[in-house]
Amino acid sequence: MRGINRNIVRSVLVLSYIALIIFILFGISSVYSYLNTGADRSSMLRTEIKKIDQYLPQLEWASLKNEGRVMDDQTLYAIQNDYLDAWYVKHVAFKTNTLTGINDYYTKTARKNIIEFIEQNNDKNISVVSTTLRHHPSLDFFSEDGKLAVITDKDVVEYKRIYQDETILLENTEKSTYKIILLLEDGLWRIRHMIKEESVDNKNKFEPASNNFKAIKGINYYPQDSPWDMFGDKYDTSIIEKDFKIIKNSGLNSIRIFVPYEDFGKAHVKPEKLTKLKKILDLAESENLKVVLTLFDFFGDYSVLNWTLNQHHASAIVSSLKDHKALLGWDIKNEPNLDFESRGKTNVIAWLDNMIDLVKSVDSIHPVTIGWSNTQSTSILKDKVDIVSFHYYEDLDKLDTAIKTMKTEIPNKPLVLQEFGISSYNGLWKPFGSSDEDQANYHKKIQEIIALNNLHFMSWTLYDFNDIPTDVVGRLPWRKKAQEHYGFINKNGENKPAFKYISKE
Amino acid sequence: MKIKFTYLIISGLIALLAIPSRNTMEDIEILTTNTEYVAGKTIVLKFSTTNDEKTSLYLSNSYGTTIIKPIIDSDFLNFKIPELLSNKTGVVHWKLLSKESLSGKFYIRPEQKTETIETYLGPPSIGAGGSDFSMLVVIPTDIYDNPLADSTKITVKHQFLENQINDIIIMKNRIAYKNIYSEKKIGRILVSSECLELNSKESTLNVMPGIPTDFSISFQRNHEYSDGNQITTFSTSIIKDTYGNIVSDGTFVNFFITNTLKNILKTSGTTVNGIAVAKMIHPDHKENWSVKAFIEGMAESNVIELSYKSIISDFEVRFTENNRTITVGPLKSFMNQMVPDGLEVLLSVYDGNQILKILSKNSSKGFTTFNLDNNTFPSKSYTLKIKTAKIEKTFPNTKL
Repeated sequence: MRGINRNIVRSVLVLSYIALIIFILFGISSVYSYLNTGADRSSMLRTEIKKIDQYLPQLEWASLKNEGRVMDDQTLYAIQNDYLDAWYVKHVAFKTNTLTGINDYYTKTARKNIIEFIEQNNDKNISVVSTTLRHHPSLDFFSEDGKLAVITDKDVVEYKRIYQDETILLENTEKSTYKIILLLEDGLWRIRHMIKEESVDNKNKFEPASNNFKAIKGINYYPQDSPWDMFGDKYDTSIIEKDFKIIKNSGLNSIRIFVPYEDFGKAHVKPEKLTKLKKILDLAESENLKVVLTLFDFFGDYSVLNWTLNQHHASAIVSSLKDHKALLGWDIKNEPNLDFESRGKTNVIAWLDNMIDLVKSVDSIHPVTIGWSNTQSTSILKDKVDIVSFHYYEDLDKLDTAIKTMKTEIPNKPLVLQEFGISSYNGLWKPFGSSDEDQANYHKKIQEIIALNNLHFMSWTLYDFNDIPTDVVGRLPWRKKAQEHYGFINKNGENKPAFKYISKE
Repeated sequence: MKIKFTYLIISGLIALLAIPSRNTMEDIEILTTNTEYVAGKTIVLKFSTTNDEKTSLYLSNSYGTTIIKPIIDSDFLNFKIPELLSNKTGVVHWKLLSKESLSGKFYIRPEQKTETIETYLGPPSIGAGGSDFSMLVVIPTDIYDNPLADSTKITVKHQFLENQINDIIIMKNRIAYKNIYSEKKIGRILVSSECLELNSKESTLNVMPGIPTDFSISFQRNHEYSDGNQITTFSTSIIKDTYGNIVSDGTFVNFFITNTLKNILKTSGTTVNGIAVAKMIHPDHKENWSVKAFIEGMAESNVIELSYKSIISDFEVRFTENNRTITVGPLKSFMNQMVPDGLEVLLSVYDGNQILKILSKNSSKGFTTFNLDNNTFPSKSYTLKIKTAKIEKTFPNTKL
C-alpha cells in the first residue's frame, strides 16, 4: 500500500513538474512572440495610398464644347473626382451635422453657406440623409490658366430623407440643375459658387418592359456541390450543362439563379465572375432555358450613402447581360422584406424603388421583379415592377385564398410563385419531419393549385445539398439539415418521388 | 346665478368656435403668388388654413436642406424663410410636410449691385508679338456673395504704353472673361475691371520678349597660339525677338566647338542685355575649331572658324644616369619664352613593337623629367617615344 502511494505521489510530482515546465515555456514563448510582433516594416514607408471608392453616382459628361481653354481628359477627370467628393462630403455633413471634409472641397466663402445650414439643422435636431444618383455635367468654361472652371450639372437626381428628432419627416427625390464655379486651390478643385437653377420633384413613371414571356415553368437552381457558391472554385460548366439538360428534359423552361453582391466584387464587378455568369447564360440558351437573375444576394446594407456603389454594381451587370437571349428578367433582391425589421422598412423600400429605376434605365426590355418572401408583401411597389413574385413555404390549404387576395389587389400584373417546396428530411434533428412521399404529395397538390390559378412557378430546388453555408440559414443543425433536403434529386443523384411532379400535376 | 349663466353661454360659444368646420389639411392653400425675389429681401410664404395644427415646411436651396416652423397668425400659416436661404440666389424648393402634394418653388435673383469683384488673371506673363494672351476672368458678386446675373455688363480696362483700351464684356455662366493679347513691345500691361460702378483693383501682366531670332557670334583671344593656357572668349551679338525686343536675361546659349578630329567641345553662357558670353581654354597643340551657338529649339548662330598655331616647333631631350633619367626641354614658346607650366608630355616605352607603358607628366618651368626605375624597366634595350604638342620624337634601342 505504502509503495503504491509513494509511486502515486512520485508520478503526480513528476507530472506536475512537467506541466509546470510546459506552462512556463508556453508563457515565455508567448511573451517572446508578442514582443516580436508589431507594425509591418513596409508600413514604415507610406508606399501607396489606395483610393477607396465611396461615391459612384452615374455620371455622364456632355460632349466638350466649352469656352476658354481646350480641356484635357486628365484635368476633366480631376474636376469630376473632386466635384463628386464635394457632393459626398456634403451628404456626410448633412447626415451627421459635422463638417468633416467640407474645408477641402468648398472655398472659404462657399463653405460658410453649408456651415450655416449645419448649425441650423443641428440646433433643431434635423438631419438629412441624402445621395445623388445621377449627374449630367457639361463644361461651360475653362480658364486659360487652367484654374477656374464652370460646369452645369443637369438633372441631378437627389434622394433625400429628412429626420427631426429621429423621426422621418419627409422622403423626397428631386431632379435639379446646378451651375457650379470651381477653383483650383491647393491642388483641389473647390466649389466657389453653387447655384441651383432648376428643381422639380422626380417621379419615375413605370414603363412596362417591352419583352413578353410565356408561361414560366421553372426551378431555382444551384449545382449540387456548390449551393450558394455558384461562381466560386467549384464552378464547372460541364456539371451545369448536365443539370440544364435534366431541367429541360423534365419539362421545365426556366431557371432562377443568384448573383452574390460581395462575391461579384461589390461596386467594381469582377470581370472573371461576369464571364462565368455569361457562360451559364450561354449554356441555358443552348438548352433553350430562360434565366431569371436575382441580383444582390448576400447583401444587407441599404444605407443611402452607399446606394451609388450598389447601383454601380447593378448597372455593370445589367448593361453587360441585357442583350443576352437567355435572359428572362431581373429579380432585384431576394426576400428583401426579411430586412424590414433590421434595416428599416422605409430604407429598404426606397432602396428597391431606386434600384428598379436604375435597372430599368439600363435595360428597358426585360421585366423586373422583387422576390418577396410572403404573399402579404407583394403589394409593396406593385406599380413599379413588371412581375409580382412571391415565395410560399406555408400551409398549402391557405395558398389558394392568398392567391385570390393578391389577384384582387394586383389585378394587372403577372404573378409568379417564385419559390416553394418542402424538405423531405426526417431524422435525428427532426424526427417527425416529412418523408419523400410527403414531399411528392406536396408537389402534386401545389401543382394542382398552380394549374387552377394559372400561375407561373419556380420551385425550390433541383438538388438535395450536402453542405449548406452558415450564411444561408444559420448554424442550427435542424435548420441546416432541413435545408439540405428540398431537392427533387437526392444526394445520391437519384430522382425522388417528387420528381414526377416537377413540372406538372 | 346670472353671471354664471352668461359665463356658460360665452364659454359654450367659444367652444363652438373652436370646433373646426373643415377639419382636414386639404384646406391648406398657398396665398403667396410671388415666385421671384431679390436676394436679401425678407420672404414670407403665406398659407391659408382653417386648422390650428402646426405643420412644417421643407426647404431646399443651392447649398442645403432644412425644415422650418410656421408663425401662426389667426387663419394663416406664415413661413418666414430664414436668411441663409433668402440671401442666396437660385431656386428654392419647398414642400408642406402635412400635405406633400402642396409644393412649389421660387427663384431668388442676385441683387444687381456689386459688392466685390473677384478677378483672376492668368497666366501672369506672356510673350510679346500679339499671338500670346492672358485671360481675365471676372466674377462680380453682390453683398451676399452671389454672382451677379448673366448678361450684366462689365468694363475691362487695360493700359499698355500709350494705349489705354476699354472693352465691354457680358456675363455668361455667372462669369465674364476677356483675353488680353500682347503687343509687339515688351513691358507691363495693367488690367482692371468695372462692374456697375464698382472698380476692381489693378492687376499686372508682364509681357516678356518673344522667341529669339537667329544671331551671330564672334570670338576674342590674346594670341593665336595653342599654348593650352590662354582663354578664348566667345560672345553673341545682341539677341532679339522678331519685334526687336532684347531677349530676357538668362536665356541660355550653348556653343558647340568641333575640332579637327570632329570631336565636340561644349561651352555655354546666359544672356545679359541680350549678349551671352562663353569661354574655352586654348588647345595645347595645333588645332582648327569651327564654332556654332544654339538657343535650343529656338535659334542658332552662324559658324565661325578659328585656327591655333603650334607654339613648339622642336624640343631637346637629354638622357642621364644610364638613360634612366630623361629630361625634356627646354620647351620654348612662340617668343622663345618657356612654355607656361602644365603642358602635357608623354613618354611611351616600347619593347620592340610592344608598348609597355605610357608615362604622362606636365611641364614645369619649361622642363619635364622622367625617371625610369629599375624594377619596372629591367636593363635592356627599349624604344622610347616622347610626344608633346603633337610633336613626336623616337629614340630606338635605348639601352637602360
